[in-house]
Amino acid sequence: MDIFLQQMVNGLTIGSLYALVALGYTMVYGVMRLINFAHGDLVAFSAFIGLSVYAQIFGESVTSLIAVITVFVFTAAIVAFVGVLLERLAYRPLRTAPRLSAVVSALGAGLVIQNSVMLIWGPNMKIFPSNLFPATIWEIGGIVITFTQVMILGLSSVLMVGLYFFIHQTKIGTAIRAVAIDQDAAKLMGINVNRIVMIIFIIGSSLGAVAGLFIGTYYRGVTFDMGWMYGLNAFVAAIMGGIGNIPGAMLGGLLLGLFNAMITGYISTQWAETFTFVLLIAILVFRPTGILGETVAEKV
Amino acid sequence: MMNKTSLIAIALLVFMGFFPLFVDSAWLAVGTTFLVFSVVALSQDIILGRAGVFHMGHAMFFGLGAYTTAILNVNFGLPILATWAPAVLVPMLVAFVMVAPIIHLRGDYLLVATIGFNIIFIQVLENDIFGLTGGPNGLFGIDVVRVLGFDFSSQTHMYYMAFILLGITLFIMRNLDKSKFGRAMFYIHKDEIAAQSMGINVRYFKLYAFILGAGIAGAAGSMFSVQYSAVSPEAFNVTQSIMFFTIVLVGGSASLPGVLIGTFVMFVLPEMFREFETARYLVFGVAMILTMILRPRGIWPVRFGNIPDFLKKGVK
Amino acid sequence: MSEYILEISHVSKYFQGLVAINDLSMKVKKGQIYGIIGPNGAGKTTLFNCITGIYRPEIGQILWKGKDIKGSNPYKIAELGILRTFQTIRLFAEMSVAENIMSGRHIKSKQRWYNGVIPTPAYVRDEKANWEKVGELMDFFNLTEYATIPAGDLSYGIQRRIEMARALAAEPELLILDEPAAGLNENETLELTQTIRKIQEMGVTIMMIEHDMEMVMSLSEYITVINFGAKISEGVPSFVQDDPVVIEAYIGSDEEDEDE
Ligand SMILES: Nc1ncnc2c1ncn2[C@@H]1O[C@H](COP(=O)(O)OP(=O)(O)OP(=O)(O)O)[C@@H](O)[C@H]1O
Ligand SMILES: [Mg+2]
Repeated sequence: MDIFLQQMVNGLTIGSLYALVALGYTMVYGVMRLINFAHGDLVAFSAFIGLSVYAQIFGESVTSLIAVITVFVFTAAIVAFVGVLLERLAYRPLRTAPRLSAVVSALGAGLVIQNSVMLIWGPNMKIFPSNLFPATIWEIGGIVITFTQVMILGLSSVLMVGLYFFIHQTKIGTAIRAVAIDQDAAKLMGINVNRIVMIIFIIGSSLGAVAGLFIGTYYRGVTFDMGWMYGLNAFVAAIMGGIGNIPGAMLGGLLLGLFNAMITGYISTQWAETFTFVLLIAILVFRPTGILGETVAEKV
Repeated sequence: MMNKTSLIAIALLVFMGFFPLFVDSAWLAVGTTFLVFSVVALSQDIILGRAGVFHMGHAMFFGLGAYTTAILNVNFGLPILATWAPAVLVPMLVAFVMVAPIIHLRGDYLLVATIGFNIIFIQVLENDIFGLTGGPNGLFGIDVVRVLGFDFSSQTHMYYMAFILLGITLFIMRNLDKSKFGRAMFYIHKDEIAAQSMGINVRYFKLYAFILGAGIAGAAGSMFSVQYSAVSPEAFNVTQSIMFFTIVLVGGSASLPGVLIGTFVMFVLPEMFREFETARYLVFGVAMILTMILRPRGIWPVRFGNIPDFLKKGVK
Repeated sequence: MSEYILEISHVSKYFQGLVAINDLSMKVKKGQIYGIIGPNGAGKTTLFNCITGIYRPEIGQILWKGKDIKGSNPYKIAELGILRTFQTIRLFAEMSVAENIMSGRHIKSKQRWYNGVIPTPAYVRDEKANWEKVGELMDFFNLTEYATIPAGDLSYGIQRRIEMARALAAEPELLILDEPAAGLNENETLELTQTIRKIQEMGVTIMMIEHDMEMVMSLSEYITVINFGAKISEGVPSFVQDDPVVIEAYIGSDEEDEDE
């Protein structure tokens, strides 16, 4: 029972990270029908940016709420800028091209980001400072919860709920949904599609940046090529939930995080990925467009 | 009458045929691998470029062929020649069993599922299932091809065997493109609903593409394992699948010259720039983006309209 | 077996709870030209999609020569000899005109599964015979001069002809045309009318949705009028033309159009 609850907590923590990254995939897919393969590498990039921002501004020792907030805000801003740049340079010229051309461009962009990180920060693992968050640990009935976990769960929930309301309650959110349904019609209604795409990339990249920083603070060690693994899991989460569907990405992320935690806790770590994909394929066999994805009959 | 394309093709064939005579052994190995990878890329192109199925797990079929030969030879002592048929059939069977339940999935969902198969395959290899695969280190000491007391053991032999394999593959691809099967794949690719309404069984032809592609990739895998006399999981992981996927799209999907060019650009060129180890993939990524922007349909895009001459007479 | 080749009985089709076809019945005789008319959004195309298996109606039967084909896969329905064109043209745009028409030969081609890999003499003969048939159809539809041109690069009128040629290449028993005259000029429409007649003379049964009243009235032997998914009138053209219900339906919808 203790293991179960402990793995629940761990699973929800990882799941929140997956969900944050999955949102980036799903939002871009929703409006552009593009699998942004560079997104995982952008997440890894965020962790390194965060490290540098921290070192630049606070040296090695200081820890305070201000420091943490500054690191998060700066990193998110820089990564959002890179995300927007990425869209301008690598995706926008391909908007009318065959869909897979943009996918190759995204794969190329991923290589560029990953190798830039390697050239700038080196190929070896970098360690996140341990004092970014207090080392407080709570023990409740045998379960251990760290301060970092609470931060991850808390901030991710706030961001996800915030995003949900943003998409459903604001004018820009409505415009985003309109572009996702029918880009041409949205254009006719006077919506500036390029602006919406830019907003999507700002939001998606910022959420990815937060996830990247959390990965750094939670796991401590970060490598230039870790984006692939997190990206893939998050992408799988987005697909599980139904790609293009925002609540689906959140659900998929949490589900995958929990599932992973249970598999590694109870069965095996060796076969973890196999279980992940067996789950994915099982879901797709029964629901071909994911858990929350809708099947629309194509109008003929 | 010969057109420009066939002239280029013949020139290339002659060049490739004499290639082993004027290179050192390192480049000969690169040449052989180029031929093998071309075969894999062409077989990937049956699925991706012709049937239009988003498939990003092709290295699995390549690896299944390689491991079938390796396991049968190393663990069970079968001669290489006897492993050829299984190396083709096992990937075909796996393709059928794994893909049939998910063949109806829409593009991107299928793409992730095929990545998933590839990842599962790698975990199976690494966890040394049934003690057959040799785990993360793989298997080594794979024999060479022996026929009637003659050993095809030199690098030059390897090269020409791969050369013949590519020849067979190109022959198959030409037949495919000129048959009801290849055309059906194109129709499905271009408009699935219209294709169905013309009586084309979408499921059947997508599976046909997968099974044929898997079989050819398996043959290439068998060749690959003999060339290096060893197999290990990382030669068949998702990164490799992404490479084959990219080769097809950068070169020009459904275009035979395109895929060969793609293999050259994505595999041989990086080999040439080995000195620039660190920066090379950065440049490579930029090149991928630029190629797609400048040539969204690939460097040498497919050209349709290959119809019998008697139908072209009335064309103005 | 009855004299009717296609019988649609009490078919209903819903989209997200909204009824698109409502308890529709009709019977098509062999060799007939059967017209279907009705205001925009009446459900005409949806009916064709139900017949050709693109959609599965929730209720009712679609009998082809007495056998229910409701919900069959579209390719099976095509194999039975029911071929169609689309209201919004669906050609294989990047492929040449000849290759487009060749797709209609798919179900007639006798190539075996191994012919995708190895050619055989039988395959060579089959391939040649099918291309020759494509040649004949290009002659019939005046498309010979465009044989090698990508279908998507041609004008609307020509594309409509390619679509018909493609469907006819499959030697259908029932040819289903969804607004074949849409977007055609007067000359082209006249040509089309003659073409449809000729197709009928070949023994092909034809069902046709058309907004061009002059054309549909002159060609059809029998007409069903649909509005809001339900049949509001049927009969020979002269009857339907003067039926007050039909006039009402069209006037009603015209007024709505003008209000916009
Ligand atoms: N795939 C679909 N999903 C949801 N609604 C649909 C779908 N296809 C058709 N409809 C709806 O069904 C109704 C009938 O449409 P249909 O296309 O059959 O009309 P139609 O009679 O062919 O009109 P038109 O003359 O304009 O072609 C319309 O309200 C349409 O919006
Ligand atoms: Mg219609």
